[in-house]
Amino acid sequence: MKLAELAKAIGAKILTNSSSQEMCVEQVYAGDRISDLLNHAGEETLLVSNLASSQLVRLAELMDISGLCMVNGHMPDPAVILAANSHGTVIMVSPVGMFETCGRLYEALKPKGRGGP
Amino acid sequence: MSILSFAIRSGDYAQGGSASKGLKEQLKKIGAAPEIIRRVMIAAYEAEMNVVIHSVGGRMTVALDEEKADIEVCDDGPGIPDIEQAMKEGFSTAPAAARELGFGAGLGLPNIKKNSDYLTIESQVGKGTSVKFRILLRPQALGERMRNSLHIAPAGCRGCYHCLFACPTRALRVRGNHPEVRSELCIDCSACISACRTGALTVLGTVGQLPPGEGRVLVVPPALLSQFGPVVGRVLDSLAELGYRDIRVTQAWEDALRGAVMLLANQVSQPRPVISPCCPAAVNLVAARFPSLIGHVAPFVSPLEAVRDSLVGKRAVFVACCPAQRTALDVGRLDRNVEIIVPSVLCNAVMPLAMSQRGGVSWRDSSLQTGETSHQTSSDMNVMRVTGMQHVVNVLEKVEDGRMNDVTVLELAICDEGCFGSPLLGEDPFIARQRWVDARRPADVGAMAVRRKMPLVAKAGLRLDNDMSKAIDKLAKIDILVKSLPRKDCGLCGCPTCVAFAEDMILGKASRADCAFFHEGTEHVP
Repeated sequence: MKLAELAKAIGAKILTNSSSQEMCVEQVYAGDRISDLLNHAGEETLLVSNLASSQLVRLAELMDISGLCMVNGHMPDPAVILAANSHGTVIMVSPVGMFETCGRLYEALKPKGRGGP
Repeated sequence: MSILSFAIRSGDYAQGGSASKGLKEQLKKIGAAPEIIRRVMIAAYEAEMNVVIHSVGGRMTVALDEEKADIEVCDDGPGIPDIEQAMKEGFSTAPAAARELGFGAGLGLPNIKKNSDYLTIESQVGKGTSVKFRILLRPQALGERMRNSLHIAPAGCRGCYHCLFACPTRALRVRGNHPEVRSELCIDCSACISACRTGALTVLGTVGQLPPGEGRVLVVPPALLSQFGPVVGRVLDSLAELGYRDIRVTQAWEDALRGAVMLLANQVSQPRPVISPCCPAAVNLVAARFPSLIGHVAPFVSPLEAVRDSLVGKRAVFVACCPAQRTALDVGRLDRNVEIIVPSVLCNAVMPLAMSQRGGVSWRDSSLQTGETSHQTSSDMNVMRVTGMQHVVNVLEKVEDGRMNDVTVLELAICDEGCFGSPLLGEDPFIARQRWVDARRPADVGAMAVRRKMPLVAKAGLRLDNDMSKAIDKLAKIDILVKSLPRKDCGLCGCPTCVAFAEDMILGKASRADCAFFHEGTEHVP
């Protein structure tokens, strides 16, 4: 699913102006430890995290992931958004907590035609 | 070769990762595969952030060539007091400031290890730490130009040609009492060494002194401990006298591997039988002669490599019993902490001591267990153990034909009775193995099976020409040539078969006159 569509589906707001909103998301990984995020950051991955630091943007840049999703409506520093804009990384902010964000993402991305868990 | 260098500033979280980013740009420019870049980035970023978080500052130096990236991340202090502890997942000394940013999970060094092909850490408290790792940029390419550890001493050769026919991949030639090895075909097994009666073929590094034992871990196979008579404890005593107090016997890692392979074999999706990678030469044989079976090989490294993995940052002496083990340990020569010796070096040192002691002395009595614990685990599962080159080849052919699907796990070893049958050891393999089975042995230390970092790939073997259309031409020529040869496979030309002789002729490495049945002016002699 395209990042922009996904953000709409989970009620998140995209903060960056990058054209890579067209990028696709195939998998999602949520976590708060950099090492875990690194290990699970593949192509077409959306990372969901409570962290909202410039380090997360750096990680996104190094690992070529699709985008980052902050949770709890937590707005990152303008500097972080600036950095993300300059590298073409997409940041979205979900108004709800990590648990509910993940639930919404699952609903949006789960294979169609099959039931829930 | 290109050398890049990046400074890393201590505590500068905002800029942290910029060295890794610089490296990434370079890797993209040289066309490294995305999957490889991903591995490099994980390892480099973790190493870089370690310097930012823990040290007073340092630098990242990268040596790039077409095959590999050698990365060294070093700092000027404060150093790691206990590297083994630092390698443990979950251990971290990161300050609260770093933890708030999501660092300090204690996964940094383990992550580097997981994503690099070789890793070594040196650290001195007060001086600094150096983390060096290598990532192969084209793992397949390296496999094609296979390294091997077979050593040829032409002076000893008397031209008996026994090795020619022993080689399972037809990698040897004998020209005027000089054995030659086609390294692209050699699988580093011990078959030719076993066949050689004169000692002209052996493993690299046969000369050499036993390094002093102080401060070094000694890694030995069980086979070595049962070379000197029935009391294994006595050998351990002798080794302790030589200063080797920290001894790891590879049995524990063999058992760990067996356990891991069985767990894997329980999965329905796994093609049967699952081949255990307990013998690196057998794995090479599969990759070279039975590439269709690569999916059957469990994705773990050999027990000896697993030991090496557990000893990162420690000085260790390894005893390698065959070329394959030596190659597996030696690849890259990156780790200065690893020293490799052949059994004779150790045997010569131990022999006088082991023989002079009287009585059944047992080394650290409490830490010795009575033998044969390992095979009990296999009783409830269908594990088949096959040893000896000819039997291994026979069984693999049957697996290829799909006639072995009733076997769950296949343990293959090229030497008779596994490493007990290494041609570098003197004792009869059956006697040596029985001694070990009966022996009281050192308690198992926490041994674990280690997953392969890169998938096993087929060995390309002989390439007639890099240009495929030319290679096809050559193929046709070889076909015609073979028909004109006697096809007795006598070996007198120095090639193991007439087909190999024809290939060598087309490649310009042999001449028609080498054939004993060839006479000038005759085209086809019976």
